[in-house]
Amino acid sequence: MIRFFAVISFALCLQTRVVHSQPTLETGSRAPEIKLPTPQGDTVALSSLRGKLVLIDFWASWCGPCVAEQPHLASLYATYKNAEFTNGNGFEIYGVSFDSKKAAWLKQIEKNKITWTQVSDLKFWSSPVAKIYGLEEIPFNLLIDSQGIILAKNLHGEDLAQALERYKKF
Amino acid sequence: MKTKNRMIQSVFFISLIFLSLTTFGQQQKDPWSALQLMEPENLAQVMNDPKAHQPVILCVGPAATIKNSIEIGPAKELANVANLTHYLKNIAKDEIVVLYCGCCPFDRCPNVRPAFEALNKMGFKNHRLLNLAHNLKVDWIDHGYPVNE
Repeated sequence: MIRFFAVISFALCLQTRVVHSQPTLETGSRAPEIKLPTPQGDTVALSSLRGKLVLIDFWASWCGPCVAEQPHLASLYATYKNAEFTNGNGFEIYGVSFDSKKAAWLKQIEKNKITWTQVSDLKFWSSPVAKIYGLEEIPFNLLIDSQGIILAKNLHGEDLAQALERYKKF
Repeated sequence: MKTKNRMIQSVFFISLIFLSLTTFGQQQKDPWSALQLMEPENLAQVMNDPKAHQPVILCVGPAATIKNSIEIGPAKELANVANLTHYLKNIAKDEIVVLYCGCCPFDRCPNVRPAFEALNKMGFKNHRLLNLAHNLKVDWIDHGYPVNE
């Protein structure tokens, strides 16, 4: 019996350690800083977008569902880019690509006429950003407020449109 | 009572037919068998054993991340399937060849099927698909298995 409880306690301790080693990406916590190069080569930090409502869109040109989502993001960007929100002035998308080939990344940017901020270290799944954010799959996104605080996680399609509408000032 | 038994029998047979159809569908979909899937842990063990015979490891996805693997290019493109067959032209048909992509789960991956089919057609006998059920990050990098610098 004592051995049984010892094993259970050990397992619980182990689990706690694993949980603590995961990054905190819960709503209400601050999105970790990202500083990566744009296609033009200059570096844009996520924190430079403070003041706006920001969607961090984790994607890649090799990810079918991510690419399929880009026209919808373009439509939302056009609608809300200059809108005023209860927690941000204007809407920006910070696209973080997990591509490994610059040409493939640029091709999709051009094809989808993406005009919002795009960054990538071109390191595929080895990108430190994937580790820092504890990403396990893409597409994945985070909606953050003017102070970089996470408002919502992984909203797509109509759910994302409704969230933007909800935060919009009337 | 008879009606109840008949109902149970009907449910049983419908389930059997559904199971057969889904199994058949799965077999039709994937060009590999369960035995041809190689667990990441097993490949990492072989790679870390200097005395073990090292397989040919080919990346048919976006980037050759696994240490010493050869980048073929995404096999969803015909040109890269041609690269693959060209690369394998001088490799013995009984050589252990491990294919991987790792972009996404198998049901969404556009690269592993054309690549595996190419090896089937070429007559390879010991080719394997690395079982990256989620992706390369979750099933390989996060485990600390060897990667290219």
